Amino acid sequence: MGDILMSTIHLHARMNLLFASGPAPLEVDFTLKAGSLTGLYGPSGSGKTTLLRILAGLTTPEMGLIRVDDQLWLDTERRINVPTQQRNVGMVFQDAALFPNMSVRENVQFAAENRRDPIVEELLELAGLTSLANRKPATLSGGQRQRVALIRALARRPRMLLLDEPFSALDFETRAQLLSELVRLHQRFGTTTVLVTHHQEEIQRVADRFIKLERGRAAFIEPSAKAQPSIEGVITALRPEAGLAKIQIQVRNEQFTLEIPLNPSEWRLGQTVRVLMEPAVPVRKLD
Amino acid sequence: MTNFDWQPLLLTLRLATVTTGLLLLVGIPLAGWLAFTRFRLKPAVEAVISLPLVLPPSVLGFYFLLAFSPTGFLGAKLLSWFDLRLLFTFEGLVVASLFYSLPFMVHPVQAGLENLPASLREAAYTLGKSPRETFLRVLLPNIKPSLLTGVVLSFAHTIGEFGLVLMIGGNLPGQTRVASVAIYDEVELLHYDTANVYALLLLAVSFGILLAVYAINRRWVIF
Repeated sequence: MGDILMSTIHLHARMNLLFASGPAPLEVDFTLKAGSLTGLYGPSGSGKTTLLRILAGLTTPEMGLIRVDDQLWLDTERRINVPTQQRNVGMVFQDAALFPNMSVRENVQFAAENRRDPIVEELLELAGLTSLANRKPATLSGGQRQRVALIRALARRPRMLLLDEPFSALDFETRAQLLSELVRLHQRFGTTTVLVTHHQEEIQRVADRFIKLERGRAAFIEPSAKAQPSIEGVITALRPEAGLAKIQIQVRNEQFTLEIPLNPSEWRLGQTVRVLMEPAVPVRKLD
Repeated sequence: MTNFDWQPLLLTLRLATVTTGLLLLVGIPLAGWLAFTRFRLKPAVEAVISLPLVLPPSVLGFYFLLAFSPTGFLGAKLLSWFDLRLLFTFEGLVVASLFYSLPFMVHPVQAGLENLPASLREAAYTLGKSPRETFLRVLLPNIKPSLLTGVVLSFAHTIGEFGLVLMIGGNLPGQTRVASVAIYDEVELLHYDTANVYALLLLAVSFGILLAVYAINRRWVIF
């Protein structure tokens, strides 16, 4: 496996966004720490996607400066604008954007420096896609497609991984699963990552930091202990022999049953418990 | 049956094959450029390409006649530089057919490219691929039905050419006497049975081609 690139990214950009409601200015200035995973959220139309596109070089702001380590990717004043191809970013699109004419493996090979690069098979393995490697994207489920898109973006060993609401169209469980996978891949490769989402509460357990984008301004929010997400549920079954309990929880109007470790002597059926969610622990539906 | 000859039919097929082959080389890059350019005069370019759709072939033929004439500017240059005569020759028919059938290649391919999600192109760019490589390896392979439609329409439209051939090609056996002209010629001579053979064969070929396209495209839609 090649060297892991961890890049510090500084972005300063100003541009006018055009919405149905009229023009709105976007002005941001922030630095992303090397190897960090930043969650970017905000109401729709606040410019989240535009920000990612500016970083990727797919959109050029009226005024902007992007510095990645000691490289200048964009400096509108000095007319520097490194094209997307040379920026070495990995981007995961909302619609996955897999190439329909290529199999799963070919999609990843297309992204790698050369077809025989061992990273291709390693990524397929890591994402549990080896058995689907010869399938065409059209035959995959939504979650599988996003998983391919994710490893395809990593196959080039990018300096920055940009994810544009990649999981928003998926159901709750698949989303949770893919988030844990993202965390695993992030731990493996350490790529500086920006994840755009509107499910803020979900990424709280995976992101190091959050940027909240509102009315064209970005605010950093450091995760605090208080912000650690928790779930409240009612105990529906106790299994003293295993030291486990089943609790009923509600997530966005859906009922789930969770199995949690619990000392049964201290708890009774019907009691309400609050469970702190650990990062990268997928919530699994039992029933 | 008097003077039936395979030559006009073979000539028609040869003209359609050569024209379609050249149109692939010219039309696909042109369609690609039109699909993604932000050039301000793009509507003007599109209008020029589409002109043969609305102009009577005789108008097009008339201007080709003027342009290709050895006394005209273009005709004289071609003659002195390349020793190329375009009036009443097969080469002239090919050049004229290229313009005449160009919209039938460009339109389906351009529409196919424009209908692909922009994210495919952008994803390839973020993976470090040049516009050229993206075009050849990502975009074109995913618009096969449009390419097939372009090929077939150009081919079929060239087979159906008549007025234009009459204006600049005339009726020289083996050079410019294509099937559609032969039919007209035989009717003029009141050889209805010969005309009928040419006509039936053209009908059968055209129907066969279109049938094949619809059958193939139906399979491709599913991928």
